[in-house]
Amino acid sequence: MDYNRITAIVEKYWEGETTLEEEALLREFFSTPHPDLPEALLEAAPMFRYFQQEAVKVLEEPPAKVVPLSASPFRHWMKYAAVLLVAVGIGYALKQQGHRQEQVTIAMKQEELNDPQRALDETKKALQLLAKNLNKGTAKMQKLSYFNDAATLIEGKE
Amino acid sequence: MSLDRFLTQVVPVRQKLYRFAFRLLGNEEDAQDITQDALMKVWGMQEKMAELQNMEAWCMRITRNLALDKIKSRKYRLADELDRAGELPASPQQSPHAAAEQNDVMVKVHVAINGLPEKYRTILQLRDIDGHSYQEIADILDIDMNDVKVNLHRARKTVREKLQNQQVYGL
Repeated sequence: MDYNRITAIVEKYWEGETTLEEEALLREFFSTPHPDLPEALLEAAPMFRYFQQEAVKVLEEPPAKVVPLSASPFRHWMKYAAVLLVAVGIGYALKQQGHRQEQVTIAMKQEELNDPQRALDETKKALQLLAKNLNKGTAKMQKLSYFNDAATLIEGKE
Repeated sequence: MSLDRFLTQVVPVRQKLYRFAFRLLGNEEDAQDITQDALMKVWGMQEKMAELQNMEAWCMRITRNLALDKIKSRKYRLADELDRAGELPASPQQSPHAAAEQNDVMVKVHVAINGLPEKYRTILQLRDIDGHSYQEIADILDIDMNDVKVNLHRARKTVREKLQNQQVYGL
């Protein structure tokens, strides 16, 4: 290629008067090594070489990650397993809690009965409750026997 | 904007937006995030799309604004030049010495361009690497076309001077 022509275009380039085609031509020209370049071209060579290199450099964005949405029922087995484990844990904890409370109540009762005074009080209370209920029953029975007496009197059996 | 329009006009620009974001941020992960955010923003502003002349430029403008916000908010440090030095491929047919020398030259050009103010750098990259027209660059950056020309001229001049000072010549 004619160095004079290239030199003229390079001059235009430094003045900012080149067209896109001329600039493409310069990049093309400098992309291959040329022996015996005149000084004016030696100066411009690295720049155009760099432009060419950058222009052809592949700068590709890696493709966006696509997450498949196909849902197999066993895909999330770990989730299910975790939920199950938590449920079992809570159930066990509640059961233990109930059991312990029961034990505590029994222990407290036993504690109460070990004290004679309290045991006596408790027994009295229970017997009083029994007596009260028994009295309720006998009161009704008295009414019934009263009614029975009246009935025999009316029938004139006596 | 319907989903169809989004899929046919915006999604294909995605790679371009990523490239643009990557150049601004110098980091793959952030570039991905910004590209994603930009697409979300475009989708969120769909009622505006009907009035748009140049959808691609508009998407790029959104990407740039998001990237600049990110740089500002995090006091961002651009990827270390040394990290990128390894990425520049050496031509296999050259001798190791020549390859290393050329690599060195490419790194110097890279550093010179990356040292430009953001506006200069972006204009230079959009024009000289991506081959956008003045009008497209003006649309992307939302500035006047004459500003694009003036800034591009200054950017080229600055890089030229930097390389002259470092005596970077030849291939």
